[in-house]
Amino acid sequence: MASGIRQLSWSAAEVLALGTKAARGAGAPPLQAARFGQVAALHLMNGREEALLAAALDHLPDGPILTHPLALDRAVIALAEGEVAELTDVSFDALLLSYVDTLPFEVVAKQSESGAIHLDGDLTVPRAPPTLCRISGCDALMDQLHRLAALTLVPESDLSRSSGAGAGLSDND
Amino acid sequence: MKDGFDIPQAALRPPEKVMKLARMGSMFPTRLSFLRTLIRALAAEDAQVARPVWNIDKAGFGHAVYTVQLGGYTYSLVAVSTDLPDAQRTDRVIATAWDTAYVLYDGVPDGDEIARICDAAPKQEAARFTERDLVLSRANKSVRLFAHVVDRLRAGKQPDETLVRQTGYLMRTTAVYGNGKFGIADRGLIDTRPGLGGPFMAEMLTVWLIRLFTHDLVEFLGGQPLDRKLKRHLGIGNSTGLGMAPFLVNHPVLLNNWMVARETALARVRAIPKLSEQEAEKICDLAARAGQHLDEWAVPDPDHQARIAALCAEWADAVHRFTPGDLTKPAALDDLLRWSEGHSLDLQELLVALVIEPFGAIVDGLAECMCDPFGALTTPFADTGKLKSAILETGGWALQNDYDCVSGSKQFWYVSAAKQEPRLGDRYAEEGADMESPLDIGRRIKNLFDDLPKTSEPISEFLAHHPDHALAVSRVAAMIRYPYSEIRDNLIGDDCLPIDMLRCKLAFFGASKFDPKSDRWTRITLCQGAPLADELQTRGDDWWLPVFDS
Repeated sequence: MASGIRQLSWSAAEVLALGTKAARGAGAPPLQAARFGQVAALHLMNGREEALLAAALDHLPDGPILTHPLALDRAVIALAEGEVAELTDVSFDALLLSYVDTLPFEVVAKQSESGAIHLDGDLTVPRAPPTLCRISGCDALMDQLHRLAALTLVPESDLSRSSGAGAGLSDND
Repeated sequence: MKDGFDIPQAALRPPEKVMKLARMGSMFPTRLSFLRTLIRALAAEDAQVARPVWNIDKAGFGHAVYTVQLGGYTYSLVAVSTDLPDAQRTDRVIATAWDTAYVLYDGVPDGDEIARICDAAPKQEAARFTERDLVLSRANKSVRLFAHVVDRLRAGKQPDETLVRQTGYLMRTTAVYGNGKFGIADRGLIDTRPGLGGPFMAEMLTVWLIRLFTHDLVEFLGGQPLDRKLKRHLGIGNSTGLGMAPFLVNHPVLLNNWMVARETALARVRAIPKLSEQEAEKICDLAARAGQHLDEWAVPDPDHQARIAALCAEWADAVHRFTPGDLTKPAALDDLLRWSEGHSLDLQELLVALVIEPFGAIVDGLAECMCDPFGALTTPFADTGKLKSAILETGGWALQNDYDCVSGSKQFWYVSAAKQEPRLGDRYAEEGADMESPLDIGRRIKNLFDDLPKTSEPISEFLAHHPDHALAVSRVAAMIRYPYSEIRDNLIGDDCLPIDMLRCKLAFFGASKFDPKSDRWTRITLCQGAPLADELQTRGDDWWLPVFDS
């Protein structure tokens, strides 16, 4: 990516797509990578600490990109069954809040005085779509995302060129 | 209009019937197609198109700006025309230069913004854009037709009607980018605006305005107006390749909502107890129009032309059933649709599109149900036992394929380093399968099923040991709530034809005259027969399957 574009901002969709590819490139399975992409966009739009995203990528193939979805799904199941929806094996930090914010329901994470973290809310109410804003000022993270995303790309070969869409056919009319 | 929830309807065609590639690859546009929805919105507001800037030189190069109001907002198309050497003109995604480039702008651009867009738009993917830029596109001139039209107009004549009918457009778009690509605005910034709430509305508005520009450009260069009938028949071409195919797999809720809207429209029409004479006559008229459309649909590919010819013959036979007398019998449309099931998928799907057409009053409100504002509203399975039951209930299509044999896993989807576009490779002949894109949903569901423990355990425990199965688990959960969310075929099998996915999506756009160039890219025509800017009131909503003399 050319350095001359640094002063410009990124759309949320770009960060989501790039975050997904980066997590894939760093070794995350597809769904966990897609969830991280969503988290990355929301996290940065909310002005939360970009270092948490960078660290999560560094932790792959382990770490919060794999464990946060599991913890959230456990809590959502508990909430759906009317049980105490405790979030276990997670830290109450901005990354967790961003993961919670990507759930499609009106739920929030709360920490009690004892330190326990719970999910609370209503699984019958869809969460309103987030207010989107441009993302900028996170150049180091964007570099990391681009570098990792590039690992998902397959280099061109003679065979792929010859079998690509439209290859070898007249495409003017 | 708002959709009504108390409209009688028959049973929906089941997903195991509808969500097959071969049927999806036989789809035709309907009145729920996005271009139709957009034109209805423009007509409802009596939208006026203006052209405040026309800075085009005698050779046809320069820029122009068009403005239109929709839903209380003003949008502008900035069109940039440049001199492109013939040797550089290619529709392939690897192209780096085009005859024309476009930005749909939010508001009315001032001089600085026009200058910015004129600099950036011709560079397309190599440039960066802003949140005021809603859509980015480009188009190449039709070598067959553009110069011919200009030459004939300059000679004081109209273009050759046969050539206009055969080509159908003056320019072809080769990409129409929306939703945040290359820095343009996120769709979420505009999707609550009146008129732009439905899927791809901003993109469709861009295409319709580009069509106006192509008409204006040949009239300017030719020095006299095009015949209105010819002009109306000149839509916008489009070349579409593999880049579009993964969208349907990567947006399962959206796919479900599109399909459910169309199938609900069909179910409502099937439930009409008896057609009025006027409705029956309309059906007959449309059947005749469909026949003419098929006659005029000619493509160079011999296989596809043979398919069109077969459909023409079938349709000619079927048209005898379209008489006002037969159609005013009780449950006539349901009977007609049942009769069609003994015929080709092409005929069945053409008939589906036809019978929906006259019934806007009970159909058009469904257009509001075709977006996906929330994502998948699913809760996770509690345990693997419930998951296994769900797979057996909804995922049988995935379990029946053999993905271990060569033919069952011959192809793999990937993203090429060249322009970062999706491609399809041969798993047994090409490198790169280790970076495969996860479009192999059927295989993933089967692998998940095979790995499920005999004794049920909490799903989180299972996924902690099998994190790669999380995607398949989520897709099974989605199928419970969104039964039309999956293409129920093996998308990595040697018999998977991406062209079927392209046709499905393009039919939802409102495309016609599908002209496949291989099993992985196609030309189409958009907006052919659509109202011109000054015809929104007079011809706003009657251009299903355009025919030459319409």
